Amino acid sequence: MNTTIKKLGLLAIAGSVLGIAPAVAQKQMPPEGGPPKAFTVPATETYTLPNGLKVTLVPYGIIPKAAISLAVDAGQINEGSGRVGVASLTTDLMKEGTEKLTAQQVAEAAARMGSTLEIHAGTDQTKLGIDVLQEFAPDAVKLLADVAQHPRLPESEIDRLKNDALRQIALQNSQPQTIAVVRFRKILYVDHPYAMVVPTEADIKKLSLQDVKDFYSGNFGAQRAHLYIAGKFDGAAIKQAIAESFGGWNKGAARMENVPVLKPQHVLDLTDRPGAPQSTLIVGLPVPPSTSPDAVALGVTNALLGGSFNSRITANIREAKGYTYSPRSEISRRYHDGYWAEVADVTTQFTGPSLKEIFGEVTRMQKEPVTDPELKGIQNYLSGIFVIQNSSRGALIGQLENVDFQGLGENYLKTYVAKVNAVTSAIVQKMTQDYIKPEEMTIVVVGDKAKIADQLAPFQPSK
Amino acid sequence: MTDLRIPIETSTLSNGLRVVISPDRTAPIATVGVYYNIGFRIEPKDRTGFAHLFEHMMFQGSKNLGKMEFIKLIQTNGGILNGSTRFDFTNYFEVVPSNKLETILWAEADRMSGLAVTEDNLKNQQGVVGNEVKVNVLNRPYGGFPWIDLPMAANTNWYNAHNFYGDLTDIESAKLDEVKQFFDTYYAPNNAVLVIVGDFENADAKKLVEKYFAGIKSTQVPPQPDLTEPRQEKEKIVVKKDPLAPRPAIAIGYQMPERNTPEYYAMGLLEQMLIEGDDSLLRQELVQKRGLTDSIEGGINMLGNMFNYKGPMLLAADITYDPTTKAETVIGAIDAVIEPLRTKPVDQKTLDRARVKLRSSLYDTMGEFGGFGLMDLLASFALFDDNPARVNDLVSQFNKVTPELVQKTAQEYLRSTNRTIIELQPAPKDAAAPAKNQ
Repeated sequence: MNTTIKKLGLLAIAGSVLGIAPAVAQKQMPPEGGPPKAFTVPATETYTLPNGLKVTLVPYGIIPKAAISLAVDAGQINEGSGRVGVASLTTDLMKEGTEKLTAQQVAEAAARMGSTLEIHAGTDQTKLGIDVLQEFAPDAVKLLADVAQHPRLPESEIDRLKNDALRQIALQNSQPQTIAVVRFRKILYVDHPYAMVVPTEADIKKLSLQDVKDFYSGNFGAQRAHLYIAGKFDGAAIKQAIAESFGGWNKGAARMENVPVLKPQHVLDLTDRPGAPQSTLIVGLPVPPSTSPDAVALGVTNALLGGSFNSRITANIREAKGYTYSPRSEISRRYHDGYWAEVADVTTQFTGPSLKEIFGEVTRMQKEPVTDPELKGIQNYLSGIFVIQNSSRGALIGQLENVDFQGLGENYLKTYVAKVNAVTSAIVQKMTQDYIKPEEMTIVVVGDKAKIADQLAPFQPSK
Repeated sequence: MTDLRIPIETSTLSNGLRVVISPDRTAPIATVGVYYNIGFRIEPKDRTGFAHLFEHMMFQGSKNLGKMEFIKLIQTNGGILNGSTRFDFTNYFEVVPSNKLETILWAEADRMSGLAVTEDNLKNQQGVVGNEVKVNVLNRPYGGFPWIDLPMAANTNWYNAHNFYGDLTDIESAKLDEVKQFFDTYYAPNNAVLVIVGDFENADAKKLVEKYFAGIKSTQVPPQPDLTEPRQEKEKIVVKKDPLAPRPAIAIGYQMPERNTPEYYAMGLLEQMLIEGDDSLLRQELVQKRGLTDSIEGGINMLGNMFNYKGPMLLAADITYDPTTKAETVIGAIDAVIEPLRTKPVDQKTLDRARVKLRSSLYDTMGEFGGFGLMDLLASFALFDDNPARVNDLVSQFNKVTPELVQKTAQEYLRSTNRTIIELQPAPKDAAAPAKNQ
């Protein structure tokens, strides 16, 4: 909880912002700079073991380290009713040692390579990661393989780990931003597994070791996993280590799909937080998945609207009005699923005015096409960011994992920049009209009800 | 053993601006950092939070760039930017496609030459910064714990012990002429370093730096106030009531040895042994063996790392636990880990793991986000030590640390009388009070 604070503190810009005024004539104009240098996404090598495990290798960079990540299609989506929270509890138990090694031995082995083994369960996937000095890369593959395939899952640790989970639930539910996301997802996803952001205490208390073992054996296996290695490593030694340590992994059960069918829920949902100096807002609605032909244009539209410094909503409610520090819009995605939302913590007394400005900016973008310089600016921004997003071993793995997970195809990264630059102002206007509809949005507010109820009244949907 | 040598070229312009250039051809990007020798420690005494508020004003307008045009310029050229205020510096940085290096250097030189800001700009940013303090401190559980609370409680010298994020009334009272005066006092080439990392020819970069920065006038910078802390002789314990917190927590901070001494490097390794990674001694004892908590947070410098500060600093750890556990139990468990380090030399295997973790995390810092991490190290060492090449000497300094030195360092710096403890207690609203030094 505190690590995030560290990163947040004392930054000029947490979200985004924009320039409006053209430069006055007598001022100096910035120098253009030179012609752009070519950028190609680093080459990758991908192959599949006989048991179905996919492997992608990306030699990259000068930093003498290798990042290793195993993405397994096992997440919240696979929990099943009555087993909410089991995906995370399974990852916690997987850190408690293997058939051969105790938890402490695993931790010390990782430390001797300069790392710690991370395991996290998300909505759709569990990811195991280790990032080591390059000379240890083959050994790190073996350690990660052991943890993935032969976890000890000891009964002796489950009560402690469940108690840890209960503490984390209490901490998460005390954060206004978490409370807002919980409400937003519940309204949008109803009883689909994606509705769950934080399990309840009761969910955790009823989980047993058998639930964990069932979840592990039912969802972990080679054909549902993809191993990525990026950075500096000896290719031949790595391939040999992969073959030896992952070759014997069971194929496992096939992956199942459960894509939610979402309907917009036009409601205003207020959670009272007496005395809160800010209101936490999430305003949004379902949008097409990243496999949609409109996805890239929608991403450009989002960047213009609230998803960058250079965006309209941020320019308005932060830089013109001073209502908030860190407003942003985002497209939040799970497997073949997504929603657009504007998220902001605004001064309590300006809760209503903030909503008015947010909707006003969406409507303005629906009514008037963006100017060419504004569009060109955001296209340059997204093209530049794309280079940065592919310029470290960790970031590269993140990009590749997303492409494979969503099934976007091997040309996606190669053609992304061209697609961004092909978007026209007419397309942006159409995206806003077709997908970012204020009259269909869910409005979630967490704040001081006594002070904001009147301000919110105009935004209450008519029945 | 793998090694990483960073190429470094340093120079100083006639106006005193120190320049560090480090080429890296990995990707067609360039990272630019301008670090001013003005941290929040030395902000005006009646204006807590002013150094940070001022940092926001540096985005509001300069001679040739009006409000928000700086940000727009970077973004429409495909780059990212930010600024931050820390204990001993304020920095401004950009990561851009490398062909735009000239554009960015021109822009940073423009705002080093002078601010052009209005009453409206200041009022707007007072609103933004007020909201920043609310979102990060006032409207959340554990707000300011322990990153603001601990330095305030542990230190005795005002410069190290005030609320650097700022009291809202101080932030709201700031005046435009104070903004201008602050700029004139601290924002000058002879009080700054410029670092450029990335894909370019050194000669080209140097030419551009000369072209845009050499004409900026230097100023008379006031001498730094005395920032030293006396040796701590008595354990301090502070209770903080937090009406929003659902669980109690403890933060513990030990005053650090002076930078760049053998003991300082030993403390860097002690941080690795105690806090970093699943094998760390505190995690093994408090999480694995005793189940008191699920994680140990902390480290040296809660607003950065052990390299990017200059003045007094704490090695800190914080732990959230359950109401059924007593604070003394948690502190007792911490002592059970620390005391053996003070009474006998650490075993070689534990020290070796600490060393390899440290080297690994140092490489991560260097590779962080498009050259940002390397730029930050070079800038810190240039600003504080006038020696950015220290970046290539760090591993050997840590390698010199012996088990005996670790013990000696622990004896002096991990003394209970050298520490400050904050006990955060969940509390009903009316019992709430800010952390106070006892």
